[in-house]
Amino acid sequence: MSLYVAGTCLAAVVSVVAAWVLVEPPRDVVAIVTMLILGLLSSVFRERDVGSNITFSFLSIIIITSAVLIGPVGSALVGAISMAFDRGGRSAIARVFNASMAGLQGAVGGLVYLAVGGADLSTVHGSFDLLMRVGLPLMVADVVQMLINALLLAGIVRLSSGTPPRRFLVQMITNSGVAYIGYGVIAFLFVILWGPADVGWFSAVLILAPLYVARWAFVQYGEEQRAHERTLSALVTAVETKDPSAAGHSGRIARLAEWMAEPLSMGTQEVQALVYAAMLHDVGKVGVPTRLLRRPRTWTPADVEALTHHSALGVVLVREIEFLNGSLAGIRHHHERWDGLGYPDGLAGDEIPLISRVIAVADAFDALTTDRAERPAFAPQQALRQIEQRRGRQFDPHVVAALATVLERHDWPITSADEDELDRMRGYLDHDDPIAWEQVWATTPPLRPAVSGPGPTPHPVADEPSPPHPAAGNADDVPVAEQVRAP
Amino acid sequence: MRSALRDLPSRLRLHRLLPVLSIAVAAGAVAAAVASPQVSLQDWGILLVFAVVIAVGEVNRIVLPGGRETAPMSLAAGYALAMTWEVGETHRVEFTAGVVVAVTTVGMLAGAVPALLRRSPVRADDLAARFLSVAVAAILFRHVVVWDGQPLLTLQESWSSTRWVTAISMVLVSGIALFVQAFCVALATASRDHRPFWRSLVDEVRQGAGLGAALAASGTLIALAERPMGVVALPVFLIPLVLTQFAIRRYAGIRETYGQTIRALSRLTEIGGYTRRDHPARVAALSVAMGRDLGMSDRDTLDLEYAALLHDIGQVALREPIPGGATMMAAPADQDRIARDGAGIVRQTGVLDNVAVILESQSKPYRQVRELGEDLPLASRIIKVANAYDDLVGEARARRARKHASAIERIHLGLGYEYDPRVVEALIRVLDRRAAVVGAG
Repeated sequence: MSLYVAGTCLAAVVSVVAAWVLVEPPRDVVAIVTMLILGLLSSVFRERDVGSNITFSFLSIIIITSAVLIGPVGSALVGAISMAFDRGGRSAIARVFNASMAGLQGAVGGLVYLAVGGADLSTVHGSFDLLMRVGLPLMVADVVQMLINALLLAGIVRLSSGTPPRRFLVQMITNSGVAYIGYGVIAFLFVILWGPADVGWFSAVLILAPLYVARWAFVQYGEEQRAHERTLSALVTAVETKDPSAAGHSGRIARLAEWMAEPLSMGTQEVQALVYAAMLHDVGKVGVPTRLLRRPRTWTPADVEALTHHSALGVVLVREIEFLNGSLAGIRHHHERWDGLGYPDGLAGDEIPLISRVIAVADAFDALTTDRAERPAFAPQQALRQIEQRRGRQFDPHVVAALATVLERHDWPITSADEDELDRMRGYLDHDDPIAWEQVWATTPPLRPAVSGPGPTPHPVADEPSPPHPAAGNADDVPVAEQVRAP
Repeated sequence: MRSALRDLPSRLRLHRLLPVLSIAVAAGAVAAAVASPQVSLQDWGILLVFAVVIAVGEVNRIVLPGGRETAPMSLAAGYALAMTWEVGETHRVEFTAGVVVAVTTVGMLAGAVPALLRRSPVRADDLAARFLSVAVAAILFRHVVVWDGQPLLTLQESWSSTRWVTAISMVLVSGIALFVQAFCVALATASRDHRPFWRSLVDEVRQGAGLGAALAASGTLIALAERPMGVVALPVFLIPLVLTQFAIRRYAGIRETYGQTIRALSRLTEIGGYTRRDHPARVAALSVAMGRDLGMSDRDTLDLEYAALLHDIGQVALREPIPGGATMMAAPADQDRIARDGAGIVRQTGVLDNVAVILESQSKPYRQVRELGEDLPLASRIIKVANAYDDLVGEARARRARKHASAIERIHLGLGYEYDPRVVEALIRVLDRRAAVVGAG
């Protein structure tokens, strides 16, 4: 590792010396000082996490610009010195490596620019000349710099974690390739303004102001997004307070569902939708009267129906949040069964959205591995066996297989409850627990067709509107059945 | 007297007046442009490019995080046009501000056409503010004598060795023009939303500062780069601004999403049968109007809105709903508990502490301020009054006027004891305005 870093360092020194011999050393003091100040500022004030996978490297822009404005030697110095003072580098060796890499990028970039016919700025006139004799060579130098960056990083990642360099390179170039093109374009504008437009050092202010504002907005975006996620999850927790047996349930399911998405090879967007749907799958429970969340002595058909309303109610609640559009179906159908006997729509097999099938399995698994007042938690393997027994009837066999794969890769701790918590849960019915639910079912067999008629009757819930919460006295207050019927 | 002065922008209906003023300026400019003879064919080509870019910029408007609309590319192009003095290294352009304004008019109007065809509304006052701002930049740069009997336009020749002075002068011109825009927008919002003008201006300047810096820099960049590059500089040097615009759009997008989430969550209590339909939304709308009337800043208004939407969230923790969901009718101790539970739930987010503070105090009577010297947040006092009014009136369409009168009467009974008199005055003003609108419509 240190050998590799020493090699990089040596390559940087050699390239600087070569540039010094081949090309005359830099003379424009104002430019060197300005670029150095900018470089240092960008390193010192760098924020590592701009949020949402957007990397924004002012230093790359500065190194490319310097390569054209003050030549290879100057650019190497600006890059190396700035990186040496970088706030992010933790160890001395990382610092040396980063500084050497930046120096090498600067020197080679400057040399390449000259080699492919990059012109001295004072000899360029007109927009065509600018594009062909400055713009084009600059972009070539830019691409070379990106390759140096990617190759050196691939090497170091190979040494430290053994990731195959090929895969890393491809990933790196697809991820930062577009950004590097952007840096090149901005650097081109910078160079034009500095040289041909005669603005000099002040051009730094003009070019960087819009970029700085853009960066600021990205940072705000990241913060706001985190705030949003926290708000969402905290309020989900609030809903869970209504049912003490469900504390932490949504968060655990979201994590398990995300794990299961991998063996099912779901796409990034679908995984996003899945995680949100998992987190919010039970929000509709706020619309279920508290007494129905308890294990009742007698069930009336209206009670069962009210309880089964919760998946559709959840959709009513969050359908106005645009970014959740992909999750709505997942929430609505998370209690459908593979054999078509679930609710609310009695969908079967592939008619059920994949997201819902995943949540159904994760939901039941988490319920089984949680301590209950009437039974201790199942161990993960036992719970898996319970689920596998219901494969092909209640659950999608593929999804059950995915759960088995996940359990080989990850540890799943059971959720234990102490005496107090058990006490609070006493009498509550966990509708997600397949065993408990089947018992309710078994004791009240005639109810079954009322909730989910076999076969695909599209909206059995809407056919027979009954107020799901008798507690709300006024009839025109909450016509929930009305709302459920709406698409 | 003070309130008479305060209401001046609304009474003059300045948000309607601004577009009229713009039309007058535009008509004058077009007349002047037609009359001025010395625009060459080459210059018309340049002007055409600018008009097209302005139109494209107008089509690509963005909504800022506060909810206001703007068109950064159009404005930057407009400023650049106002400050154009050499295109290519030898070609000097000397068209007048009249020509600039006429071209801007054409560009902006053309840019509004697609929206009109889609029948989506065009914010005439925002458009007028942008237009007037470009006009001010053009007049400042091309005609106002600043030094040695010359305007900035002709002074540029003598600054060829110190081009950064040119750059700074251009940034200043754009800065002034941007301030004019903020001023116009503040007048319009003060007039439309019945807010104190000063408050609107401070908010406008504060919110516009970031984007404004990017705009001033971009206009200057383009004007300067036109000398070596010709008119190609216009699209090329808008690239950094396009990135800025993209970033701001993302930011505004997530803010909007956040708002949607809070609104959806405000309906938790409604779907749970704890509150009447749309009660949180109505209380929020009323609270925001009162907050604006009382001169709250945009940032505080947002906290107020979120708090009003979530003011009943504490009821979710109740085992069974209160009859009709009217917290106003609940026992004081229950009201306090709901407020505390709600604040606790909201505080768990870790990011809505301001809202939690407002929620905590929403049930406290106003006399605690007078008797105990306690500091109740204004937002809490507003929500208390708005909530009481909505609980008392209910949603019954029938006998609305009578219910309104009796609700106001009951609130008046609690004046100074339960409710803050200043806030109740604001409520009455807001309701009077609503009644006037309903009456007129």
